[in-house]
Amino acid sequence: MSISAYMFSDKRLAGFNGVLARLAVPLAAVLAAFTIGLIAIIAMGVPLGDAVGAFMRGALGSPYAISASLNRAVALGLVGIGFIIAQRAGLTNVGGEGQIAVGGMIATALCLVPGMDELPAGLAFILPLLGGAVAGGLWAGIAGVLKVRAGTNEVISTLLLSFIATWLVYWSVQSENLLRQPMTNSATLPESLPIPAPTQVPLLTGSYASPVTWGLPITIVIAIFVAIMLGRSIFGFRLKATGLNPVAAARAGMPVNKLLVGALVFAGLLGGLAGALMLQGEQYSLKSGFSSGYGFDGLVVGLLARGSVTGVIAGALLFGFMRSGGISMEMAAGVPSALVGIMQGLIVVMIAGAAYYLDRSATR
Amino acid sequence: MIMRSGGASSSGAPLANNEASLPKLELTDIGRDFGSFTALDGIDIAFRTGEVHCLLGENGAGKSTLCNLIFGVHQPTRGFMTLNGAPYAPNGPHAALAQKVAMVHQHFSLIDELTTVDNLLLGRKFGLVDRKAEAAKILALAEEFGLDIKPHAVVGDLSVGQRQRIEIVKCLMQRPEVLILDEPTAVLLPDEIEALLKVCADVAARGSAVVLVTHKLAEIRKIADEVSVLRAGRIVARSTRPAEDMNDLTTAMIGRSGTGGAFGVASLPPRAPHARSRMVREALQIDGLSFFDQTGARRLDKVTLTVDQGEIIGLAGVEGNGQSELGSILAGLDHPSEGRWFVGGKELTHAKPRAITAAGAGIIPEDRHKVGAVNAMTLADNLYLNQTKSLTRWGLIDRKRQTEGATSLMKQFDVRAQGPAAPFSSLSGGNQQKAVLARELMTPNLRFLLAMNPTRGLDIGAIEAVYRSIREAADKGIGVLLISSELDELLAVADRISVIYRGSIVGTRMASYDNRAAIGSLMSGTATQ
Repeated sequence: MSISAYMFSDKRLAGFNGVLARLAVPLAAVLAAFTIGLIAIIAMGVPLGDAVGAFMRGALGSPYAISASLNRAVALGLVGIGFIIAQRAGLTNVGGEGQIAVGGMIATALCLVPGMDELPAGLAFILPLLGGAVAGGLWAGIAGVLKVRAGTNEVISTLLLSFIATWLVYWSVQSENLLRQPMTNSATLPESLPIPAPTQVPLLTGSYASPVTWGLPITIVIAIFVAIMLGRSIFGFRLKATGLNPVAAARAGMPVNKLLVGALVFAGLLGGLAGALMLQGEQYSLKSGFSSGYGFDGLVVGLLARGSVTGVIAGALLFGFMRSGGISMEMAAGVPSALVGIMQGLIVVMIAGAAYYLDRSATR
Repeated sequence: MIMRSGGASSSGAPLANNEASLPKLELTDIGRDFGSFTALDGIDIAFRTGEVHCLLGENGAGKSTLCNLIFGVHQPTRGFMTLNGAPYAPNGPHAALAQKVAMVHQHFSLIDELTTVDNLLLGRKFGLVDRKAEAAKILALAEEFGLDIKPHAVVGDLSVGQRQRIEIVKCLMQRPEVLILDEPTAVLLPDEIEALLKVCADVAARGSAVVLVTHKLAEIRKIADEVSVLRAGRIVARSTRPAEDMNDLTTAMIGRSGTGGAFGVASLPPRAPHARSRMVREALQIDGLSFFDQTGARRLDKVTLTVDQGEIIGLAGVEGNGQSELGSILAGLDHPSEGRWFVGGKELTHAKPRAITAAGAGIIPEDRHKVGAVNAMTLADNLYLNQTKSLTRWGLIDRKRQTEGATSLMKQFDVRAQGPAAPFSSLSGGNQQKAVLARELMTPNLRFLLAMNPTRGLDIGAIEAVYRSIREAADKGIGVLLISSELDELLAVADRISVIYRGSIVGTRMASYDNRAAIGSLMSGTATQ
């Protein structure tokens, strides 16, 4: 019984009273993880007040902190939404990291195309965003085609494609023929040129004191669109049927293979967009390893959400703020930010454990 | 004489001829719940050495659950069991086996790649295996019970009946005192059934209590010393003279009167013989269809078959003779290796399911859970699974129209459920099948209907409803191909019956009870046209 199987099944929740169970399990897991985190901090001998204070300051302490957390949540949310789209078709997309990497890389390349920064009406940043999204979609589409043509398990292929993508980014910033900035001296870093200001995603407030980008409203619109698509559209209906019973879906005349590839492409589009937003909204130049685990955290957000877009948003905010708080806690209180990773891991393990328990109690 | 629980004679006192023998295994007030669902309740039953005790009941009556309690797969929620007078509470099959209670399951647990002997020695021997000596022992045992097995054949090459005999030998090797057989005859040819029943009698005669689960009345008539009828988790009737009480037992089992043999179809009015005329167009035409599976084995061999409009053709055959493959091809899930096929004159040899539906072919697949429906979706979703597009505007599904349409389909086809939004999996098998049937009969421009084992696992009421709908469709001029392994159902419902054996059509007869024996021998491959 896989986690993703658990995420889908309505039957499983019947014994646990629907809505309550949907909330109770993740909430309990998060609370338990935080408790264990606090115990770990005490065990490390760090004054609890210092650590918690630093965590809160980093997550929520200032407009800047909140903005940074929100931008993180945007990236996690996009990957998470992509995850649940693929999940609806019965696929597990663990390739968010690679889709972010490819999206960021292609977005950078487009931003640096001569003349891009002169395009009018926001096209200067919109086109690279779209390009990054398409690149991510095509990247995930490779896994989709492998799946329907050769039967390759998408967990394996999306994961391995992630490694390829992160190394492609590394290559692209190492070679001047690709994206590396011109070497003027021996200290020139292996990274791309900064992207021109017009290609940067504008800030909502216009001030670097609270650098929330337009990525946030874009993501909200996408979330609403996807929620409607999954819940009410014929595409969502077909994805669901395909995910739950591909043979019956095929017999009912649904284009199962196209749906499988389409679901992964859609997931990849959102991953690629997340990468492009991270690059054009925050980092402004491409560095090796710029995706730094957002793809995998986004996957966890998607898992936690149990198929619901609202759940993704809640999870993305939680993890976004946890990540910011964790960084601050490490800098200010000397608690390794790996603790946040441990807590995230605990949350996943506990939810998987709850899946096992609910499965057993719901099986007649 | 028949005794009904709750009636005057419900004490369960054994009748005259049994009074002497003490029960080998006795269940007292046994109940078993699964969550809030009560599968069994208040079961009092005794199994005696030297007797074949048949458990009769429709699907879902609790027969398998009862077997699983005895074999230790599940534990009772209430009540207690005694074996030889001592408390018996197996916590697993191993515990049951240790106390000489053995079970032959519906599904075999054999390794196809190994020989009979190796399968029988699995898990029993360490170190060196003296195959010759073991084979001799096994053969001696098999002979003792009149079981014909091939000790050195690879199991994968054997027929279902032969495999079942291996399973039985596996049980007999432990010299069981209680032997449970869960619907052993469902998969067998008529003469294999005879042999199996004889084995049951032999095993009982040699000092075991035999528990035989079945829902075939003919078998009970032949072999049962005692019959207990289960309905909805309770024992509703029992008899020690089953041959005389047949009608009462049937009534008790289905909760209404019916005749033996063809459940649910006997009450259908006889069908006016279909007049074959040259004016009528073919609904389905299959022309020299062959199919090779992935291993290259030939599963269909130049099948040629025509179904006219308004005609019901039955395709009879023991399971595994190519019916599944033919069904898959007609559903568009597989494509033939050779030959062509048409619906209403339109070639569909390499068509996808959507094109097949568009050509006016409704398909009731063999396995409604795997192919016919999406269990985890709602009834309404499943009723429109292949017609969602008709409900869609701007890419969005009009849920209101879907609910209305589903509600009226539920009414028209008597699909009983909590409502259109009920999960499909919450429906009973009969209502699920009626829903699938409703959807397929609603196929626009329907000309041809394939129905594969449409009544499998259904109770009598549902069987009747399904066949009524199918006949109504035929009366409206739709050609029906009805594939079933239940010959009596085919005889009652179809106009003509073709027989498939090892992938070929070996003969066609009018659907008349006079031809029953002839069709039976065609099915077993002992006669050719």
